[in-house]
Amino acid sequence: MNDARGALFRFTASRTRSDRASAYLLLAPACVLLLGLIAYPLLRAIWLSAHDVRLLQLGMARYVGGAQYLASWADPAFWIAVRQTVIWTVGVVGAQLVFGMCGALLLNKPFAGRAFWRGVALIPWASSSVLVALMWLWLLDSNYGVLNDILRRLGLLHTAFAWLAEPTTALPAVMLAAVWQGTPFFAVMLLAGLQAIPEDLYEAARIDGGGQWAAFRHVTLPLLRPTILITTMLRTMWVANYMDLTFVMTGGGPGVATLTVPLYAYFAAYKQLAIGAGAAVAMQLAVVLAGAVLIYMRLLGSVEAAE
Amino acid sequence: MKRTLRNLPHRVLLTVWLGVVIIPYLWMLVTSLKSQRELYVFPVRYWPAHPTLAGFAQLFQSTPFPRYMLNSFVVATGTCVIALTAATAASYALSRLPVRGKRALLFVFLTTQLFPAILLVIPLFVIMRSLHLLNTYGSLILADAAFAVPFSTWLMTGFFNALPHELDEAATIDGCGRWQAFRYVLLPLVAPGFAAAGTYIFLYSWNEFIYALTFTADVSARTIPVGLQTFMGEFIIRWDLLMAGGVITAVPVIVLFMFVQRELIAGLTAGAVKG
Amino acid sequence: MQGPWTRGIRPAVLCLALCVLLSAPAFTQAQAPTTVSYWLWLDDPTDPMFPAVIKEFNDSHPEIRVVPQVIPLAQFHDKLVTALSAGSGPDASRFKDWWLGEFVQAGALEPLSPYIARWSGRSDVIANLWNTGRISPTGLIYMMPHQFITFYLYYRKDWFQQAGLQPPRTFDEFVDAAKRLTDPSHNRYGFGLRGGDGGQDQWLAFMVAGGARMVDALGHVVINSPKAVEVNQWYIDLYRTLRVAPPSAPSDAYAQVLGAFEGGITGMFAHHVGSSVLVTGKLGANAVGVVPIPVADPKAPATMATMAGNVVLRASKSKAAAWTFVSWLTERQAMDEWSRSRQGQLPVLTSLATNPFYQNNVFFKTSLDEAKYAITWPGLPGVGYVSAQLWQQMMQQALLGQISSKQMLDRIATALESK
Repeated sequence: MNDARGALFRFTASRTRSDRASAYLLLAPACVLLLGLIAYPLLRAIWLSAHDVRLLQLGMARYVGGAQYLASWADPAFWIAVRQTVIWTVGVVGAQLVFGMCGALLLNKPFAGRAFWRGVALIPWASSSVLVALMWLWLLDSNYGVLNDILRRLGLLHTAFAWLAEPTTALPAVMLAAVWQGTPFFAVMLLAGLQAIPEDLYEAARIDGGGQWAAFRHVTLPLLRPTILITTMLRTMWVANYMDLTFVMTGGGPGVATLTVPLYAYFAAYKQLAIGAGAAVAMQLAVVLAGAVLIYMRLLGSVEAAE
Repeated sequence: MKRTLRNLPHRVLLTVWLGVVIIPYLWMLVTSLKSQRELYVFPVRYWPAHPTLAGFAQLFQSTPFPRYMLNSFVVATGTCVIALTAATAASYALSRLPVRGKRALLFVFLTTQLFPAILLVIPLFVIMRSLHLLNTYGSLILADAAFAVPFSTWLMTGFFNALPHELDEAATIDGCGRWQAFRYVLLPLVAPGFAAAGTYIFLYSWNEFIYALTFTADVSARTIPVGLQTFMGEFIIRWDLLMAGGVITAVPVIVLFMFVQRELIAGLTAGAVKG
Repeated sequence: MQGPWTRGIRPAVLCLALCVLLSAPAFTQAQAPTTVSYWLWLDDPTDPMFPAVIKEFNDSHPEIRVVPQVIPLAQFHDKLVTALSAGSGPDASRFKDWWLGEFVQAGALEPLSPYIARWSGRSDVIANLWNTGRISPTGLIYMMPHQFITFYLYYRKDWFQQAGLQPPRTFDEFVDAAKRLTDPSHNRYGFGLRGGDGGQDQWLAFMVAGGARMVDALGHVVINSPKAVEVNQWYIDLYRTLRVAPPSAPSDAYAQVLGAFEGGITGMFAHHVGSSVLVTGKLGANAVGVVPIPVADPKAPATMATMAGNVVLRASKSKAAAWTFVSWLTERQAMDEWSRSRQGQLPVLTSLATNPFYQNNVFFKTSLDEAKYAITWPGLPGVGYVSAQLWQQMMQQALLGQISSKQMLDRIATALESK
C-alpha cells in the first residue's frame, strides 16, 4: 500500500510540469477557434464601425470616426427599431418565462411516458428558425390559414385578416411564433430547477398550513431564482439578437413594423452595402447587451450571496 | 376514479400544451400531402380528399433540395468533429489539469455567446473572404464550431467535474498513463455528456441560418435553412412544395432529437442547476 | 508471409496504378470546354423553355458549356452582391436596370461597348433600347438588352360588363371603376395595389402616368417635386381613403396580387406581358382584358418600362465565352423562343416586333404600343438601394399613414442623390 502511494506521489509530482504543458496544448484548439473567429472579428467590427466601407469595394475604406454612430442616431427608423427591439425582447422572454413556468409545473408531476413527452415538447426548440417561420406563415395565411379558419368558425372574424401585413398585429404575430419556439427551452430548464427542490420543504410548507399557491410563492419561487435568472439572462441575450424569424416572415415590414436592431444592421450592411454603418449599429447592440449581462450577474451574485 | 378526476385539469392542460406544440407540424404534414388543386380551397379542408406524394416527388426531382441536405450533413458533421474535439480537450484540461484562472477562463468562454451574431457576421464575412473560404463548407464549419465550442466546453467540464478524482488515481495505480486513463475510464463515463454536447453541436450547425445565409452564394454550399428560404421566395404560390420541403427539413431533426433527448436534456439541465 | 519489401510494394503499385488511371482523362481529352456560369431569375421556374434554350446553346457551341443557376428575383440582388464580394460570382448574369448604376460604380461590370461594336446583330436591336444599358457620362453600355416590359393594366372583362363599365383610360375613369367594383362584404376590391416586394415598378408606372418624373431632362432628381407629391398622394389614397385595394395591399407582392386577381378578389391589377399566359390560363381569355396604364392627361401619356438584360462580370475569367452566350440570347432565334414562352416578355429586336405573333396578341400589342412613350428608371447608383429595400419600406409606411407622401419622396430623393 505504501509502495503504491509512494509511486502515486512521485508519479503525480513528476507530471506537474508536463501537465501544465499538456493543459495548454489541450486548451489550444478551443482557444485558437475563439481567438480567431470571435475575438479577432470583434476587434475588426470595432474598426469597421469607424470606417466607411462598402460591400462591393472592400479594398477602399475611409476613416470616419464616430460619424456612422451619429448617422444612425439621426435616422428615425433606428429609434423605431430600438423601441421594437425592447418590446420584442421583453415580450418574448416574458411570455416564454410565464408559459415555461406553467409547462415546467405540468411536467413536474409524474405521469406515464413523461420522458417521451418532455422530448416531444422540446421539438420546436430543436427546429430550424426557417422551418418555424414557414409553418407559422402558413398558419397565419389570411385566406387559407388555420388560425383565421378557427376564428371564422367561432364567428370572431368575417374578412380575410392578414396578421403579418397589418402594422398593429405584425410584430405580435412574429412574437407568437418566437414564444412557441422558445418556451420549451424555458420549461425544461425550470423543470430541472424544480426537480432539485427537496420534497421536505414542501412538507414543511404544508405543515405550516399554506395552500398550493403559498407553497409556490414561498418555497418554489425563491429556490428557483438562480435558475430563473440564468435562463432568463441567456434567453434575453439570444432573443434580442434573434432576427431569423422577422427576416423570413416579414423582412422587417410592413413598413418598419417588425424592424429590430439586428435586422436594421443587416439591411444597412447588405442592402445599402454599407458594412461600416451596419457594424456601428451592431456594436451599439452589443454594448447594451453587455450592460444587461452585468446587471444580471449582479442580481445573480446577490442571490447566491444570500444563500 | 377520484384520482382520475383530480388529475383531470393536469391532463387537460398537458394535452393542450402538447397539442399547441404538435399542431403546426401536423398541419405542415397534411398540407404536404395535398395536390395543387386541393391546396387553395375555401373554406379550409383539414384532410385532402386525394392525398398524394407528388409534392415530395417534385421536390426531389426538380429542385436542389437533395443537394441542400448533403451540404447540411457535411457541414454539421464537420462542425461536430472539430467542435467536439476542441471542447473535450479543453474541458478535460479545465477539469483535470492545473490551469491558472479556470473559472475566469470558463467565464470568458461563456461571454462569447453574448455577442450579437449580426455584429460578428460582418467582419467574419470579410475574414472568410480573404481566406478564400466564402461559399465553401469550410467557412460554415469554422464559424459554427467557434460558436458551439464555449457552451459544449462548459457542458463537458461539468460532466468531467462530476467524476471523482479517485477514478483517475485508481486507473493510474493500475498502470495507466493519462491518455489511457482518459480513454478507458473517463470517456465512457462522460458518454452522456459527450452525446449531449455532440447533439447540441449537430443541431446548432444544422439549423444555423445567418452565417449560412451570408457566407454562401450559390447551390454548391447552401444548407437546408438557406435553401428553404430561397425556396420560399421561388415557389411562393406552391405551398404544397414548400410544405414538402418543410417536412423533409423537420423529420431528420425530430428523429435524431428524440433518440438523444434524454441525454441532451440531462446535460443542459445539469449545467443550469449546478451553475 | 509478408516481408518488409512486399508490405511496401503492394500499396505503392496500387498508388501508381491509381495515379495513372486518374490522369488518363487529362491525356485523352483534347480540350475541355470553357465553362460559363450564368445566373438568372425566372418568373416561372418550372418553365421548360429555359432548359431547352440552354441545351440549344450548349449543343450548337461545343467549345462552351453554360451552367445556369436560378435564383428568385427577391433575393437576386443580395446573392449577387454577396457572391461578387466573395470573389465567387458568375461569369454572366441576367440583370435589371435597377442595379446598373450601383454595380457600375463599384466597377463590377464589364463594359460591353467594344464587344457590341464588333457584333453582327447590333443593328437589329430597337435603337433607343440601348439606352437602358447605357451609363452616362461615359456613354458606355454595360447591359445587353434582352427582355423588355412596359407596364399595363389587367382588368376583369366580365366584372366590367356586369357593372356596365368601360375599360379605364384616365385616372378619373380608373378611380370610378375601382370604386364601383369594390364590395368588402363579398371580399371584392377594385384594384390590387402592390405595396410589397417588387411593387416599385407599377408604382413608378402610375407616378409617371400622373405626370411625375424621377429625373428631369438635365438629370436632376425631381421625384420629390410638388407634382410628384400630389400623384403619390393620389396613389396612397387608393388604399387609405378610397379603400379600393384589399387590406393586405401594403405587403402584397407578386404572388399575392396575382393570386387575388386569379381568385376573384380584385378586379384590376398592374403588371406586364410576362404574366399574360398565366393569367389567361387561369381565368380564360374572355374574362381578362388589358389597357395601357390609365393616365392623368391623355395628351401626355406615360408608363414605365424596365429592361431585364444580361451582363458580363468584370471578374469573370471567361469573358469572351460569356459574351458569346449573352449575345446569342439577344439574337433572333433565341429571342423569339424566349419571348413566345409561358413567361415571355417583349422582344427587343425590330425584326421580331413587327411579327404577326406579337402584333396579334393583345397583350404584346398593348405593351409594344406603350413602348413608344415608356420611361425607365434612371441609371443612378442609388436606384439599387431604393429598389432593393427603401421603396418598399417607405411605401408601406406611407400606405399605413405613418409618414406623409412628401416625407416618403424626400427620403427616396436623398437616396437617389447619394453617391
